[in-house]
Amino acid sequence: MKRHILFPGLFALLSVLSCVALDGVVVVNEAVPATQLTAGALKDILTGKTMYWDGGAAINIVTAGEKADAALEQASGMTPSAFKTHWQRLAFSGRGQPPKKADDAAKALALVASTKGAIAILPAGSDTKGAKSLAIQ
Amino acid sequence: MTPQNPRISAVCLALLAGSTATAWDLKLGEKTASFHGFASQGFLASTDYDYLGRSRDGSFEFNEFGLNTSISPFNRTRITAQAFTFDVGNVGNYELILDYASIEYTVNDHVGFRGGRVRRPGGIYNHIQDVDLARTAILLPQGMYDARWRDFSTSIDGGLVFGSFSLGSGGALSYEAYAGYMNLSKEGGVARILENGLPPAPIGGFSGIDKSLIAGAQLWWNTPVDGLRFGVSGGQVFDFTWHISVAPPFGPGGMKTEVDIPFGQVSLEYQKDGWTFQTEYYSYKTTGFDMLENGMILAPTSSQPDVWYVGLSKRLTPWLELGSYYTEYFTDVDNRGGVGTAVPSDAFQKDAALSARFDITDWWIFKLEGHYIRGTGLLHSSTLNPVRNDDGWWLFAAKTTLSF
Repeated sequence: MKRHILFPGLFALLSVLSCVALDGVVVVNEAVPATQLTAGALKDILTGKTMYWDGGAAINIVTAGEKADAALEQASGMTPSAFKTHWQRLAFSGRGQPPKKADDAAKALALVASTKGAIAILPAGSDTKGAKSLAIQ
Repeated sequence: MTPQNPRISAVCLALLAGSTATAWDLKLGEKTASFHGFASQGFLASTDYDYLGRSRDGSFEFNEFGLNTSISPFNRTRITAQAFTFDVGNVGNYELILDYASIEYTVNDHVGFRGGRVRRPGGIYNHIQDVDLARTAILLPQGMYDARWRDFSTSIDGGLVFGSFSLGSGGALSYEAYAGYMNLSKEGGVARILENGLPPAPIGGFSGIDKSLIAGAQLWWNTPVDGLRFGVSGGQVFDFTWHISVAPPFGPGGMKTEVDIPFGQVSLEYQKDGWTFQTEYYSYKTTGFDMLENGMILAPTSSQPDVWYVGLSKRLTPWLELGSYYTEYFTDVDNRGGVGTAVPSDAFQKDAALSARFDITDWWIFKLEGHYIRGTGLLHSSTLNPVRNDDGWWLFAAKTTLSF
């Protein structure tokens, strides 16, 4: 009987934990058609599983420096070093275009604004003027 | 010590060091071609035997250089290519090769196509075995990912279909299926190994390897447990044929060996909180015939090596990662001790490795590694190592890689 109570409770707890809000803000180039993403879809983009937006334009990931590492880790499920290694594996085997690096949120924002199909995760509270913010469900 | 072509190494390393480690972008109208590259220079030193070069004296013949570019010219389409050169002992010798050059069209997440010269998937590391940046260890388990065999294992001229499917609460399944031709150099690693098994010249001489068809698939199940994935791959090389010239008194004439090579691999990887656990098993079987060039069969031939490893690594700080693995390779699954053979220690090679990786900057890494090895099954050079036994021996490796 206890087991029947325990498992639904555990799943509910895991569901709550997996829905913790992203501690950052997701911005994309103005020409990107999407207005929102699920957390799963964002993770698929960050891991290279999804490489094109609806409509077919290539996705260009931009990283925003150390202050955005925590949010990137939360969204991708990978530590910063694992994220870097993952994309090096894809890039040097001809399977993907590695993220463009920016030193901080302002430079990442400028890169997103000027690069078609670009997406970046900025630290929470960052200025997003010039790009489009995406809601993460 | 045996520095080989040190000017090339120095120039490549200097160029990369001066590149400020930033990818180069080339604007082509509204599109951008991005360029990335890496340069690795290694050093090997060993006791008892020469392995992967003349390592007993210390060898710098251990390096790789790659430069790749990619562009997305149309929707859902990507073109990518990589130039590559390497040197491992007497293999590679800085010959510049087109490592891959392909065009890819992704229909959706479930189906995509890649054609041209493509990297062949196989386990965790086959398609990235020369990317030093992508792992903790300098030398991967050599029975599975032999640094000298890259012309056999990494790229094929053909096509590949790929995609992934969600399994809902069961995780996700990704696949790659491929078919194409291998182009094996007469100077390549496989050729060197086959050559090593021949009677000494002038009695026997290695003539070459035919182009062979290969087909196979890799499946990965990304389980519902975050970071845990399980892989299975398999395939076959069809009519793999190599040729030997025979001199008097047994010749003159020519012989060939023609075999089919089915192969299979299972893989498990778990990554969590900076820890990475990996284990894999791989085996292949050669079955066919030794025959005269006119097709007259002389004798059947077969062999079945296998190899496994288990490894663990931990990212301790942003700049330090430690790792270790243990691997066992056997030349013949039916005679793992080499009983009754001329050199029993050639039947196996068992290797315990300990590695340290230092990420000095975002674009510069340095690695140190020690190996304690028993067996001589992967030396593949009777000339350099005429006397072999199963006493333990040591191998030390160091390597630095620059990338952008």
